[in-house]
Amino acid sequence: MSTTSKWLGSVDGDARKRMLLGIGSFLLPLLVWCLVSYVPFVWHPKVHVIDPGGVDYFQVDMLVDKTMFADEVANMEREHLAVPTGKSANPIYLPAPDQVARAFYNGFVNPPQSKDVPSMPASLWHSIQIIFWGFLISSIVGVPLGILSGTYTLMGRLSEPFIEFFRYLPAPAFGALAVAILGIYDGPKIAIIVIGTLFQQVLIIANTTRKLEVTLIEAARTLGTRNIKLLSKVVVPGILPDLYRDQRILLGWAWTYLIVAELIGTSSGITWFITQQARYQHFDNVYAAIMTIGIIGFGTDLILARLGRRLFPWDRTQDRR
Amino acid sequence: MNVKHLGSTLKSLFIRLVIPAAAALSISAHAAQPLKIGYSDWPGWVAWQVAIDKGWFKEAGVAVDFEWFDYSASMDAFAAGKIDAVTMTNGDALVTGAAGGKSVMIMLTDYSNGNDMIVAKPGIKSLKDLKGKKVAVEEGLVEHLLLLNGLKKAGMKESDVTLVNAKTNEMPQVLASGDVAAVGAWQPIAGQAMKAVPGSRPVYTSANEPGLIYDVLAVSPASAKQNKAEWAKVVKVWDRVVHYINDPKTQPDAVKIMAARVGVTPQVYLPLLKGTHLLSLADGKKIYVKGPGFASLHGSSKVADDFNVANGVYKAHQDIDSYLDSSFTNAK
Repeated sequence: MSTTSKWLGSVDGDARKRMLLGIGSFLLPLLVWCLVSYVPFVWHPKVHVIDPGGVDYFQVDMLVDKTMFADEVANMEREHLAVPTGKSANPIYLPAPDQVARAFYNGFVNPPQSKDVPSMPASLWHSIQIIFWGFLISSIVGVPLGILSGTYTLMGRLSEPFIEFFRYLPAPAFGALAVAILGIYDGPKIAIIVIGTLFQQVLIIANTTRKLEVTLIEAARTLGTRNIKLLSKVVVPGILPDLYRDQRILLGWAWTYLIVAELIGTSSGITWFITQQARYQHFDNVYAAIMTIGIIGFGTDLILARLGRRLFPWDRTQDRR
Repeated sequence: MNVKHLGSTLKSLFIRLVIPAAAALSISAHAAQPLKIGYSDWPGWVAWQVAIDKGWFKEAGVAVDFEWFDYSASMDAFAAGKIDAVTMTNGDALVTGAAGGKSVMIMLTDYSNGNDMIVAKPGIKSLKDLKGKKVAVEEGLVEHLLLLNGLKKAGMKESDVTLVNAKTNEMPQVLASGDVAAVGAWQPIAGQAMKAVPGSRPVYTSANEPGLIYDVLAVSPASAKQNKAEWAKVVKVWDRVVHYINDPKTQPDAVKIMAARVGVTPQVYLPLLKGTHLLSLADGKKIYVKGPGFASLHGSSKVADDFNVANGVYKAHQDIDSYLDSSFTNAK
């Protein structure tokens, strides 16, 4: 018997150990990030100029390639001029963890200076509303359609080929049309989330519905259950735990469309924050905003998973996250 | 979660979102609405923020609604008829118009005075050195036009260099890759390219050909006609903005407002402002005079029109006169 399997076995039963591993799964990437950021001989392909010395085109705070810096040091030594000094640095596109943490803190504590500029929390709240409405509208259409397509072959054959086709069409390409129809504010953004989510939703839910044991439906039909009753008493209760899990995954899917959706119409939400900060190369702020999206998405999913265990205690797959 | 609570949350969300959205939709049907203007991140347009923050539109008795966009999204919204006016370059006004989003340029905000540039890697000192080398520009956009203009002045042809099509936003990385000898970009991207490749320098900029790229306030023809008096007030407010920004006494305050709008410090913003030559109404009057060459908005637009047709941006030449309305700038 290998010790590994024993160890894994005990982990499975031990909630605390599982939690520790969960935390570890976050700490490991963070550790890698710290290594790359703080240990000077790991990566650091650039040199941050502290004193330009005699090099005419160097400036304080400029980032230059290591080889170029070394060349200039050699040049200056040869010409007996002041030698430039600097310290190893990463490209501007990879800020260190502490910079991002500070940007994160600043984003939440310090309001922007212009009153027309929304703060980071306000931007975030705006984005959450876009996701909420987009996902709600998509679900209102997608869930019933998916269940019907999965239950009735006729319905499935009529709807699914087109949906299969349409799901490959890039949602953002409909941006200009959405603006023309729905205006410049939240309407077109919500529409892009819906277009991005709906078609996958129908197919996934139809598939989930098909996985329901045929014998169950046949038995119900033999006993005379038809139409609405078949759906409400047999199909929906049968797939509900799986449906719930599908929706959890699809909600994450909706989030991935947020960034493209919010580029349409007036600049708003967390995307406004990210693109504006990136334009002026404030990548610490960009990463802080990206992290916030991750935290909110992951946090929501954790809550929904816990809720799932509460709602469907008989379904053991809800435990697996 | 408590179901009742969920219900009330939904309700409040409904009140917050759907009702305003519906209201916004119904509003567009009414008359006497605020003029809706789309603006974006370019110093000559961020300048409007000074008037917004200072309440000068209210003082002038005109209701305006400035909406902040990404530049291309602002032109899309204008073409879709969702806003009454948009800030853009004279060349882009023609492009948008050729695609159905016809506009009239009622006033000039500025011309690019160095903010658009061709940045070459170290060792290349002039456009002539680019002969036979690769140059990255976003084809069909202003930097492409700038490059052609520079080559012509240097006695060269477009075929003397190899054009590489790339996104303007990515030019810093493109230049740093070493695959091209030069890139075309505007600020702040051009500045980042020079930072990314120390020793690189601009070999040609919009300061070498003032008037190659004019920036304008372009209004939908219908709104320019129906709200003539309102737009006249907006144009007057612009004059006040230019004087406030150009006056050394008030300039720091203006730069502070503009920098805050785009989220940088005033020190970072000042050089960007310097690469833009703001145009007062008096300046604008001279540029509205019809004539050949870049000193005239008409002449500059003609060059842009030829460029657009030659590069297949659109097929048929645009009637430039129909895009220009000097009556607002010349009033007073």
